[in-house]
Amino acid sequence: MNNQNSKTAKGEPGQSYYRSVAGLTLLFDNEDYLWEPADWTEDVARVLAQECGIPELTEKHWRVIRFMREFYFANGRAPLNRQLKQGTGMTLMEIEALFPGGIKQDARRIAGLPNPKACL
Amino acid sequence: MERQTEGSVIYLDNAATSYPKPPEVLQKMVQDYARFGVSPGRGSYDLAVSAADLVWRARKKVAAFFHAPDPSRVIFAANATDALNKALLGLLEPGDHVISTRLEHNSVLRPLFFLKEKIGITYDLVPFDGSGRVDPDEITKLFRHKTKLVVMNHASNVLGSVQQVEAVGRACRERGIALLIDTAQSAGHIPIDMEKMHIQAVAFTGHKSLMGPAGIGGLVLAPGLDVKPTFTGGTGVESHNLKQPADYPHRLESGTLNLPGIFGLSAGLDYLAKVQENVEEGKHEIRLAQMLYDGIKDIPGVKIVSPRPGADTVPIVTCTVSGMVSSDVGDILDGDFQIAVRTGLHCAPLVHETLGTVKTGAVRFSPGPFNTGEDIMQAVKAMEKIAMRAK
Repeated sequence: MNNQNSKTAKGEPGQSYYRSVAGLTLLFDNEDYLWEPADWTEDVARVLAQECGIPELTEKHWRVIRFMREFYFANGRAPLNRQLKQGTGMTLMEIEALFPGGIKQDARRIAGLPNPKACL
Repeated sequence: MERQTEGSVIYLDNAATSYPKPPEVLQKMVQDYARFGVSPGRGSYDLAVSAADLVWRARKKVAAFFHAPDPSRVIFAANATDALNKALLGLLEPGDHVISTRLEHNSVLRPLFFLKEKIGITYDLVPFDGSGRVDPDEITKLFRHKTKLVVMNHASNVLGSVQQVEAVGRACRERGIALLIDTAQSAGHIPIDMEKMHIQAVAFTGHKSLMGPAGIGGLVLAPGLDVKPTFTGGTGVESHNLKQPADYPHRLESGTLNLPGIFGLSAGLDYLAKVQENVEEGKHEIRLAQMLYDGIKDIPGVKIVSPRPGADTVPIVTCTVSGMVSSDVGDILDGDFQIAVRTGLHCAPLVHETLGTVKTGAVRFSPGPFNTGEDIMQAVKAMEKIAMRAK
């Protein structure tokens, strides 16, 4: 863990907790999704990516992250699968391959979108 | 029949809900509701009486479908979960013991847990074997003085395995223990005869293989099993009495009924009666499920966790892909191949706990009557491509 990211104890399922990420004190839910998408910064994304096993975000990662966020703020929800494919110009298989934990767990978390709260 | 789905999606999630619905079912539902969509059993004008008559006919169809002798003991509910809650909350009392299985959906597990916490029932959950089946002897071994009820699904929504309900029913009858069966996955696929199988209560849903709309289901009770009302209100009868009527169905039905749902369910049952005259038609989905099973079973990285579909299963094939969470497999199937499947834990967490798939979930394919062999070929090809790139 680097010094930009000091965790506090997680709460019970369904609860939120604060931790320090990239110099900011941010609220996360118990599954490590950012509570408030507007609190996200690119530096926060870099730290969250490292936690997901991605040492450096590439242009392709950023394309996915930025599209997800733009779509979210324009529509109030995450993009549908076909919208993600169309908006990034990548297949879902390519996107999934970019993120070790997959699309819902990693891409969405790094992009600072709310927890989809779906059984995986 | 020509498939009429949204876009060009290959829909393989019929265990969640059947889609598309047969057009004739939707048309009949809309026609009847347009014509008789008044409050049934509440007024004495001809239209209300006619609506009530259609509801009664629907009860009779449901009773005949499940071989239940008394249509007045067909209680309409929102779905199987609602029906199971009506039964479990209305039957069980403090200190009662219940036997169920680790195959259950949360529609059973959560009410049981709730009743354990709330009123102090106790329950045992019987494990299942490698083919997804519960040994009836393992259930009877748990019978005890306080055992009031056995509740179990007829077919697993994760594994498709059909349980030996008749053997369990016989044992329950000998001990005077009620048997409640969750038929959400089986009704419409597997014949259910409450009398022959010694079932005291059946919970069903209309929107899966009964081909009706969402929002309608019910509880069917055998004579002699009484369920306490768990909510009360207007029934259109005995209005002067502040106590809920004791007679069925009013005892367990309060408020205006879901008339379009009942009409749709009724039309769905008519549709099933028609198509099931052709025996081959009924086996279509099983053949497709077998084709899928055989097509993906040898793909490296794909692990099937359900038994090979056959006469003792409903058409479900469930698998995992090495190194991938199931939701990503589902998203790729959807986004890249236009194939809709159900992923995750399927609201049956203990099945996944037993299978060791809690962390990743699993991918469930469930073909329906409007799928084709070509659909299955596409799904197999897609799984080959996905597994190739799996980490």
